[in-house]
Amino acid sequence: MKIKRYRRTAQILTVFAIFFIPVLNVFELYFIKGTFISMDIGDAAMADPLAVFQSMIAAGRVNEYMLGSVVIPIVLMLLLGRVWCSWFCPYYLCAEFMSWLRRKLKMKAYKPKFAENIHIKQSKVRYIFLFAGLVLMAIAGVPILNLISAPGIISTQAMVLVKFHYVTFELVFVAVLLLLELFYFRFWCRFFCPTGTFLSFFRSKRGMTVRKVRTECSNCMSCVRSCPMMINPMTMGETSHCNNCGDCVDACPDNKKEDTLKFTFK
Amino acid sequence: MRNRFTELFEGLLNSNPFKNYYKKNRLRPPGAATEETFMELCIRCARCIEVCPYDSIERADLFEKLQIGTPYVYPENKACYLCMRCMKVCPTGALNPKLTEGKQVRMGIAVINQNVCLNFLYYRDEMTGVSSTGTAQLCGTCYNVCPYTDEAIVMEKFILPVVTDKCTGCGICTEKCPATPEKAISIYPEGMPVDKNTGYFGRRSKVHGEERKKSKDALRGEKLLEEKQKIDSSDAKPDFEYNTENYDQEW
Repeated sequence: MKIKRYRRTAQILTVFAIFFIPVLNVFELYFIKGTFISMDIGDAAMADPLAVFQSMIAAGRVNEYMLGSVVIPIVLMLLLGRVWCSWFCPYYLCAEFMSWLRRKLKMKAYKPKFAENIHIKQSKVRYIFLFAGLVLMAIAGVPILNLISAPGIISTQAMVLVKFHYVTFELVFVAVLLLLELFYFRFWCRFFCPTGTFLSFFRSKRGMTVRKVRTECSNCMSCVRSCPMMINPMTMGETSHCNNCGDCVDACPDNKKEDTLKFTFK
Repeated sequence: MRNRFTELFEGLLNSNPFKNYYKKNRLRPPGAATEETFMELCIRCARCIEVCPYDSIERADLFEKLQIGTPYVYPENKACYLCMRCMKVCPTGALNPKLTEGKQVRMGIAVINQNVCLNFLYYRDEMTGVSSTGTAQLCGTCYNVCPYTDEAIVMEKFILPVVTDKCTGCGICTEKCPATPEKAISIYPEGMPVDKNTGYFGRRSKVHGEERKKSKDALRGEKLLEEKQKIDSSDAKPDFEYNTENYDQEW
């Protein structure tokens, strides 16, 4: 069975959860509560590490509630890689829908040709954007990067929609990003998303990574073409750009005969 | 020199448009840190909004600068009923999770506008002998509705509601106050700087108290009230001194 099918199931379940958790809370069932900026399952608290990091910088102090809420996401990130982006993020699902729509409309998007050093260019833009955002945040003294965190906006808007029956203007930001997604291939996830950039700091080579297990392969480059982050999965699976979506594993034709490109733990 | 520099620096920090955005009847949820640290700590995850069973915590809109997404309680619409759920949910400690009882909460303090409050108007009419409103209405809703009756709001002379320092600022009195269009009792958020309005109310109460002291014998209604006090049998009422001078200084 293809990995993509599991991934799609997880994504659709998360979108369902976005709307279902506030409904539960309206009926006063508080087992699961929260949005994708921070969430409680039972007594286990989870929070977006970037959001907590921002409030740490802004307040200049750390307390046990912050640290406690960051532990679970970071441990998950170290074990499974940056799975948050590709398996759960609602914006990623929307972006994939937009690329499907673009294919249906037969539009030409700006997709640069693959080059071996493209990840250096990407990481430059990502880190500069994140650093500039953090500096601005420190000047304002307010965690403002949460205002442009697309999954956070989508889930809080869903919560507001369920509980108060209205939607605020923030959703326009996500709509504009999705429209631009039609013309620039996956630009937000690849270059700008501050949450994804910050999560990629917690990527370890020991965790789940895509690796070329066999030394020889047919060199058809279908994995490179399928990669949404524009990297070469055969060599760059360990870099911080890979978010373990598994599209390359699905696309590899050699996998049918013998294990070539696989998720491995080290 | 150093003091002057720190003062200047603090002044610059306090004039930050993203912080210190205080307004009457506009509170942070119970257990919130001071406004500056709250804005630093709050990551706008909206969990307190989600968990509130009374829908009293609302989400700030886009029009409120960078406050967008942060939680607010508007006691005129819906007051906080001190169920103490929101602070246990906060992931960054912007709402203090160590609070367990409603008595420990300090969201703000209620201030009574004596020009609007029916009881004060009635008392003034009795005092001067001139009817300003043409009616004689007594209400006492704030006293009845207060979750800490006889602690947070005390009835002085059995008709004049007075807010003590045990007020939690939950705003139930503001929600239920029947005075229209302006509420007679309104909440000033905790840590709100000395404001024109606040000073005005403080001054009003002080003036009113002094007037009463001066014209003690001339009062017509006073004697009547004293007689009414003698009739009352509830000895359990707590002793409360209406210290008007300290009241002004607190702001």
